[in-house]
Amino acid sequence: MISLYRPGDSVFHRLPAGPKLLVVMALALAVSLAPAEPWLLAGTAVLVSGGYLLAGLGLAEAGRQLWTLRWLVVVMVVSQVFFLPGRTVAANVVRVVAVILLANLVTLTTRTDDLVDAIERALAPLRHLRVNPGRVALMLSMTITTIPVIAGYAAQIREAQRARGVPVAPLAFVVPLLVMALKHADDLADALTARGVD
Amino acid sequence: MSERAIVLDNVSVDYPGGRTAVRELSVRLNERRIAVIGSNGSGKSTFARTLNGLVTPSTGTVRVHGLDPTRQAKELRRRVGFVFSNPDTQIIMPTVAEDAAFSLRRRGLSRAEIAARVAAALERVGLSDYADSPAHSLSGGEKQLLALCAVLIGEPGLVVADEPTAYLDGVNSRRIAGFLLDQMPQQLVLVTHDLRLAARCDVAVRFDGGRLVDQGEPGPVIARYERDQDLA
Repeated sequence: MISLYRPGDSVFHRLPAGPKLLVVMALALAVSLAPAEPWLLAGTAVLVSGGYLLAGLGLAEAGRQLWTLRWLVVVMVVSQVFFLPGRTVAANVVRVVAVILLANLVTLTTRTDDLVDAIERALAPLRHLRVNPGRVALMLSMTITTIPVIAGYAAQIREAQRARGVPVAPLAFVVPLLVMALKHADDLADALTARGVD
Repeated sequence: MSERAIVLDNVSVDYPGGRTAVRELSVRLNERRIAVIGSNGSGKSTFARTLNGLVTPSTGTVRVHGLDPTRQAKELRRRVGFVFSNPDTQIIMPTVAEDAAFSLRRRGLSRAEIAARVAAALERVGLSDYADSPAHSLSGGEKQLLALCAVLIGEPGLVVADEPTAYLDGVNSRRIAGFLLDQMPQQLVLVTHDLRLAARCDVAVRFDGGRLVDQGEPGPVIARYERDQDLA
């Protein structure tokens, strides 16, 4: 789900992270609040596609993102289709997918450290509430770094279980994953200390 | 020579639960390449960790290049870089260049300076092509090179490496070892089970049961270690 930065030189890449985040947040809000009119939904699709083209990522990338969201779409449709009119269901799905694709457009065109810097600046007023924006920003970066690691652990455990012919049991999966995640957290804490973060 | 001295005086490290990892260790080392050998649980990792304050001695004093790892921790960690065994747990930032740049934060450098230093450091370890790649897409050997790069970019005076080749295949071990032992100008403390690497150092110290039991020219120290292993 976490799409990482693709180097490029489009308008989108050059737009500073702060304003870009604000624009995308405003667009996401507009998309979420727009009435469920077919022409507005079509407009949303055009807007998102236009964004991907403008960023030089192409529609193929948008398509790839869409494909990773397929299960979300299935869950949304199945859970709503019996209770809501078809048009509302379509509108809900389009809204959620559009917002996620817009958010990914930001991560695809912004270096993580620029993004984190922008968030750090935005959080600066919270200093008065004893929130340390630097720490929040670091935590965000580390979360992004750690997700693929934990996913890797999950794959390792599945493989180990398959290799031993153990049937897939949720507990036998969650417990080792938790242990590995905690061990990883310990090691990462040492690495942070060693690199001068206290 | 004295400015790169590592001096431990009567150091003991007790872990919670009563296990003593290092006992009454007194040693003075100022060679450029120092090998630390010994079996698992002999205290060599704990010794390495006291050198940058990851482990605080229960008694005794440590001076690394004149600094006290406990009281001058911040200064010392700029002076001492630490390379861990597991390449996966040393990567803090999402992409290669960002992770290297992470070591330079809060040093009052401009963005341009940081970018220039990162580019030079990645070039040195041969990772320039991966600057914007997700760090976790690298192979194990490349990750370890990145970890090394992230340490060297801070221009430490001493690099402590705790079994840096443990997770690597032969080719990558040689790459990392070559870098640490031959290319890098810094003083090196190399904790290793690979006795061929230990043999390439200027001095070897051997730990056993939390005590320093042997010290001197790597050749004879390693020979005695191997003989004792055969006897056991």
